[in-house]
Amino acid sequence: MYLNNTKQLARRAFLKRAAHLGIAGVATPWALNLATMGEAAAFTATDYKALVCVFLYGGNDYGNTLVPYDDITYAKYASIRTGIATPQASLAATVLAPTTALPGGQRLALAPQLAPLKAIFDAGKMAVQLNVGTLVQPTTLAQYKAKSVPLPPKLFSHNDQQSVWQSSSPEGSISGWGGRMGDVALANNGSAVFSCISVTGNAVFVSGKTAVQYQVSTNGAVAINGLKTKVYGSSAVGSALQSLITQPSTQTLENEHAKITARSISAEGQVSSALAGVAPLTTPFTPDNPLANQLQMVAKLIAARNTLGAKRQVYFVSMGGFDLHDNLPEQHPGLLTNIADALKSFYDATVELGISNNVTAFTASDFGRTLASNGDGADHGWGSHHFVVGGAVKGKEFYGKAPATAVNGDEDVGQGRLLPTTSVDQFAATLASWFGVSNTELDLVVPNIKNYSLKNMGFV
Amino acid sequence: METCHESAVDTETRAWQPELPAALTLAASTLAACGGGGGGSSPAPLPEPAPPPVSPPVSTAPQAVRLLLQSQFSASDTEVAAVQNLGAAAWLDQQFSAPASITGWDWMMGKGYNAPEFSAMASITDPMVWYQLIATPDAMRKRVALALSEIMVASANGVNGIAYRSFAMAGYWDTLVQNAFGNFRTLLEVVTLNPAMGVYLNTRGNQKEDAATGRQPDENYAREVMQLFTIGLYELNPNGSNRLGANNMPIETYDQAMVSSLAHVFTGYNFDKNAAGGGNLNYLRVPMTVTASLHSTVAVQFLGATIPANTGPTEALKIALDTIFNHPNVGPFFGRQLIQRLVTSNPSPAYIARVSAAFNNNGAGVRGDMKAVIRAVLQDAEAVSATQAVQANWGKLREPIVRFVQWARTFKATSTNDAWKINDLSSDATRLGQSPLRSGSVFNFFRPGYVPPNTALAGAALVAPEFQITNESSVAGYINFMQTVIKNGYSDLVPNYSAELALVADVDKLLDRLNLLLTAGQLSGTTLATIRTTVAGLASATAAEQLIRVQAAVLLVMAAPQYLVQK
Repeated sequence: MYLNNTKQLARRAFLKRAAHLGIAGVATPWALNLATMGEAAAFTATDYKALVCVFLYGGNDYGNTLVPYDDITYAKYASIRTGIATPQASLAATVLAPTTALPGGQRLALAPQLAPLKAIFDAGKMAVQLNVGTLVQPTTLAQYKAKSVPLPPKLFSHNDQQSVWQSSSPEGSISGWGGRMGDVALANNGSAVFSCISVTGNAVFVSGKTAVQYQVSTNGAVAINGLKTKVYGSSAVGSALQSLITQPSTQTLENEHAKITARSISAEGQVSSALAGVAPLTTPFTPDNPLANQLQMVAKLIAARNTLGAKRQVYFVSMGGFDLHDNLPEQHPGLLTNIADALKSFYDATVELGISNNVTAFTASDFGRTLASNGDGADHGWGSHHFVVGGAVKGKEFYGKAPATAVNGDEDVGQGRLLPTTSVDQFAATLASWFGVSNTELDLVVPNIKNYSLKNMGFV
Repeated sequence: METCHESAVDTETRAWQPELPAALTLAASTLAACGGGGGGSSPAPLPEPAPPPVSPPVSTAPQAVRLLLQSQFSASDTEVAAVQNLGAAAWLDQQFSAPASITGWDWMMGKGYNAPEFSAMASITDPMVWYQLIATPDAMRKRVALALSEIMVASANGVNGIAYRSFAMAGYWDTLVQNAFGNFRTLLEVVTLNPAMGVYLNTRGNQKEDAATGRQPDENYAREVMQLFTIGLYELNPNGSNRLGANNMPIETYDQAMVSSLAHVFTGYNFDKNAAGGGNLNYLRVPMTVTASLHSTVAVQFLGATIPANTGPTEALKIALDTIFNHPNVGPFFGRQLIQRLVTSNPSPAYIARVSAAFNNNGAGVRGDMKAVIRAVLQDAEAVSATQAVQANWGKLREPIVRFVQWARTFKATSTNDAWKINDLSSDATRLGQSPLRSGSVFNFFRPGYVPPNTALAGAALVAPEFQITNESSVAGYINFMQTVIKNGYSDLVPNYSAELALVADVDKLLDRLNLLLTAGQLSGTTLATIRTTVAGLASATAAEQLIRVQAAVLLVMAAPQYLVQK
């Protein structure tokens, strides 16, 4: 049988950190090491923090998510987006008035379906990060065209850019920046397995070098029935089942399968009993909204944080359907409705739990899309706009640089595909710093941050 | 972007190349470097064929079952005997020439699903394809078609906005089945023009550019046909490794400009509403038709080929598909994935190279012969080697669809009312976590390059695609689902354990049979002992108790990691 030895995992993570920081006295007792490691201070605090990545699979269309509203920019937008532009009049109720206005009288409005988020923005609990995307280092349009600086691998490819956004490497990557934050935080959590949790499919974002992704369903942990009650009337069959499915093996794939199963069994017991001890949330979540279902489970797990022994957690949730080459005007509004509905419920739930200042949620996606229309949709792009929501967020502000609304504009690499002016690394480093990752450890989490002088966007 | 790579570092290619006559070596290496350029009008001479595949030893029953489980879903007593009698090569030939069974389309028509009340439903796709996988006799053809459906993905979840979506999906499935043993070039064309694929990746209704509005052609199909269906993102050696450029970096096969350019070829297409037959739904299975006035006439440049301006749509499509088909990546790119679907997650470079060679030339001068590729995959020395099977990293996790179909076929499950109402089994918490023609995206249920983080596989830089849909929920959901299914069947699908019941008094014989048919004899002595002790301890006085003995044995085998990993 496999055990999930928190102490062992934490020690491995600690040794890696210690080696990185050059303070390792390997012979020194473990507890002493931890106590003397000043860099760990951020995590030895008794407070709690959770980061929640809301991944929009398929490449969210930035142009119809945050829409130009002032007459001059709107006219440019409408002329480029033939057949897929959002009517200007429909945007009046969701025009944003950030504390620091954009230059030149530019105004941006949330898509009408995002109206529930406007109140959160106005209350200063939501920020907008403009034109963020995958980069290796700061890159100008001239450098991009001349290919004179390293660029992210496999641009415009869904699976690879999903992976690069989450981990800085294309398909096949084995650790993401959420998981690497988990690595740094492992020692603080009573049970390592609950450091990095996906409430959707497997995602490299929540896999660290040491921290392991734990996956849970929207109904909680799935129990193996045969280990709880008799199988076909026999308890002996259940015992044999447990022994077989967790049996270590010299065959690599068999062994890894057995490890996942062992983790499933041991974590299920903890999760189910922890969730059973949590009072039901009164905040409503819309039942037929898959993203809301996932975020509701995140909220419940956060409510159970003390029982689960968690001080620092990274969560991953997702929704799909954003690859709208076709039918963008028909299908995108429904997706945005689900995002706004789910994020609002989740934020409200963290307020209900009295933990809103300790939970930060943010959106991410493969890439943005072209500003140009293909008739009824838009094609794969690059930079995009994203939202950061939570009590600790320095909201009612835009961060980064608003891109020109243009084909062949200042940031356009073709048909309104945006060259990002803020990198995912800067975005990630900002969140990591809030989470408690020290400056000296930042490059463990976000290796390319060394290429940027601005390491904190300041939105949280 | 360079398209002819004289400067490319090519040492790995040489290392894996079969010995060639001196006169051929230069020609072959030049071709390998230049691929399908030149507008595709003059097919390049073919490289030297691979040596004919060995006929693997299948004289023992476990050897025969191993071949059966790699090439189809299950093994029956009759099939095991047939493989043992015929030998592998002749048995494969027999499968290649076996008559095709009823199509998914005709099955649905026969059940009256073309009636208007079904027009809005995509969910008839599920019984249609489950029937095809579980109940039709030409299992090898269906196994290859399932593999193709996971490489050239069109999903019922994304074929939206049209009436009779299930018929569109049946049309797609039937297209894969019909072309599974044909030529890859034909497969590429019928997939490109298939109505379901047209809806899924937006070729249907795609219009030419419009300078007045700034409208551009939809790029979706142009990108994915290259990235996912044929050549991938980086230039490959025949053994599947990346070719490296002068700076020791992989060489991109295409760039964004080529995608935008190729997109023009796929404009002007829509359903052929004039196609007669099929209960007036035939337009959902015959190739889409092109309207010249909606088709772009600009010059197209991609992969070193040029399609001149004002080339007609049909000729433009021919040049485009010929160019893609003749790209040297197709053999290793497609061949590796077919090996992964049928045999093992991490084939050796030499194994991939042998399959590539079979793709490039079937021995009779034909490129893209699927039968030759399938033979090369299944009869390769590495696929049949007994010593390979016990290597720690060999094999693949059986995908959940295949486990369920194997159970149904092995235990002769049939529909009590001939409805076969097996639905979408995609839920990982409560069902299989996978269902045919139900991928979440064009990137399939799992990626060929998926590396499970925090595992020994990651440490060894090995891939394990099926682990992408394996997690703490799915492992529990699968066991729970099978526990119910093995006992009760599923919906109107009911198993028949009569062959196993005949052995129930002798637990050793019962387990011998299950071990042979379900795992090709790959359960260890320890595992067998655990199951034997447990099953032998169950009462067997009554018929009901005997049935429980069988069901418990089947469940314990099908839950064991030694079964889950096909070796």
